Amino acid sequence: MLSVQVSDLKTDGFPGIIKPMNTTFIRAAAVLLLLCAAAAAGSYALAQDQPKSAAPPVLVLAVMCETIENFKPVNQAVVFSISLGRVYCFTAFDPVPEKNDIYHRWYRQDRLISNAKLALNPPKWSSFSSMQLRDVDKGAWRVEIVDSQGMIMKTLRFSISD
Amino acid sequence: MGQLLGIGWQNVLDIALNTYILFRLYVLFRGTNVLRVLFAMVVLGVLRQVAVSMGLIITTWVLQGVIAVAALVIIIVFRNEISSVLQTKDLKSFFWGIPRYQLKTPMGIIVESVYEMARKKTGALIVLPLNKGLESVVQEGIPWQGKLSKEMLLSIFWDDNPVHDGAAVIQGDRITDVGVILPLSKRTDLPSHFGTRHRAALGLAEQTDALVIVVSEERGKITLVRNSQIYDINDASVLEKLLVRHAGDDTPARGFKKHTRELAVAAAICLVCVTGLWLSFSRGMETLATHDIPVEFINPGQKMEIFSSSASSIRLLLSGSRPLIRSLGPDRISVKLNLANAVPGINTLAVSRNTITLPPGISIKNIEPAQLEVLVDVSMQKELAVQPVWVGELARDLIMTHASAVPQKVGVIGPNQVLRQMHTLFTEPLLLENIHASGTLTADIALNPASIRLADQKNIKVQVAYTVEKREKTPQ
Repeated sequence: MLSVQVSDLKTDGFPGIIKPMNTTFIRAAAVLLLLCAAAAAGSYALAQDQPKSAAPPVLVLAVMCETIENFKPVNQAVVFSISLGRVYCFTAFDPVPEKNDIYHRWYRQDRLISNAKLALNPPKWSSFSSMQLRDVDKGAWRVEIVDSQGMIMKTLRFSISD
Repeated sequence: MGQLLGIGWQNVLDIALNTYILFRLYVLFRGTNVLRVLFAMVVLGVLRQVAVSMGLIITTWVLQGVIAVAALVIIIVFRNEISSVLQTKDLKSFFWGIPRYQLKTPMGIIVESVYEMARKKTGALIVLPLNKGLESVVQEGIPWQGKLSKEMLLSIFWDDNPVHDGAAVIQGDRITDVGVILPLSKRTDLPSHFGTRHRAALGLAEQTDALVIVVSEERGKITLVRNSQIYDINDASVLEKLLVRHAGDDTPARGFKKHTRELAVAAAICLVCVTGLWLSFSRGMETLATHDIPVEFINPGQKMEIFSSSASSIRLLLSGSRPLIRSLGPDRISVKLNLANAVPGINTLAVSRNTITLPPGISIKNIEPAQLEVLVDVSMQKELAVQPVWVGELARDLIMTHASAVPQKVGVIGPNQVLRQMHTLFTEPLLLENIHASGTLTADIALNPASIRLADQKNIKVQVAYTVEKREKTPQ
């Protein structure tokens, strides 16, 4: 039976991807950034007199993997054996300016099998979905990472083999 | 012409030849009782066929017996008529000639001769046959075949002539037989002055449609007998009038037309009979044949294109006579499906008998498939991403971390409805068993469905670069 597992992972960082940094430096940088952002926002509001639009979440990692351990994708691949029983699609966003939704659309050949809705929370967020595999699921697959506006952010292509 | 009707030239020749044979038989035996018995046999044959089709066993058996007996009867009873037809005719008249009977008979000569003999009290008995033959009725005639003339007639009935007691038979402008013995009438109401000649004349007239002229030897009177009617002739013009009426009451020109018309009708009937017989025989030899005929699509809408069909040809099981089936080629059969009412998408079209053109005489026993699914749509072009398809089993200690195809996208042309749903082109399956290290493979693109084709007509090869690594962790 085919099923999709969806999970949101709140992360302070992406272990193995983003290294931990000095706290004082971060605070100073954050204050500086805030000041700059406030100044820029003020001048923009005065000039445009229009409502502020939030920046979209930035996809920094999208991979297919055999499993997820400790919030990390394990054995990233493009070919998966059916004997694994399940395959995962892992995505990481940084930054996530505001609470948002993204979608993992799973296609076998060109046929939509599943459309998993995943929530993103500021400041950065990782999430994954998975697909349980049956024998008939062998063949070409793809997962489209789609934002809340319906724009495809990334397409991951893989095969399910013997 | 034969080919147009679906009949080979051999069959046309077959029908023509037998029609002529039948027509010749009619011409040769016209007016004889043989022909009537033959007609009766044909009727019996038809009745027998009806009885067979109705399953009347005893009636069929009886009719079959009657027909067999009738055939014997014809040969035995009408042997004289048959032999006279076969023996007395020369080859030209047998195969080609058409007897004209009374049409060319010079009636004036007969009238003049008869009056001359009456004046001289010369007894005479002259027979002018019409349609019915005399062979089965008269006896002991002597073939004469002399050209008719007054002198000839007078000499035949001259008292010292050995044949003067018999009758002379006149056909056309010839005296064909003399000394012919006619059957005597058994009527009892005849006038007392009627002698043997009158009784013989009446006897023949009772059994045939011949006209008989009697010249009384004792009284020098002329008597005309026809259809059991006796006419005493006192005026030459009356005699000539009666003779002309007997010959058809026509001028030679009109008589010729009537005669030609009669023969034309007879020929037409012969043709119909032989054609019917041929059809009956050929149907009896009915056979079956299978033909695979390509389907022709007609009247597709503007800008519409046929992208696929569930079958490109139709298998027809055809039935017909063996000659027709043998002469039947695929070029003479067509299957045309009308796409005038087709809509974009898959259309189900019935392959009915109306959509199949066949030569006459051929019927359809089976159509396979009876309907086609035809994809008709507006054509469009689209760029589709190319994705490698991996099959088989990768070594357990390896993991394929990356695979990319070049070109990444390929343009295809296909039906609008199909291409709107398509986003990916897949390669032909790539085997994983042979992969032990990173490398590159070449693969063809699998064009599926068949309604799509590459925009660039060249067969594009996809280069697939892949990376494999040693597996660090085995999934739990």
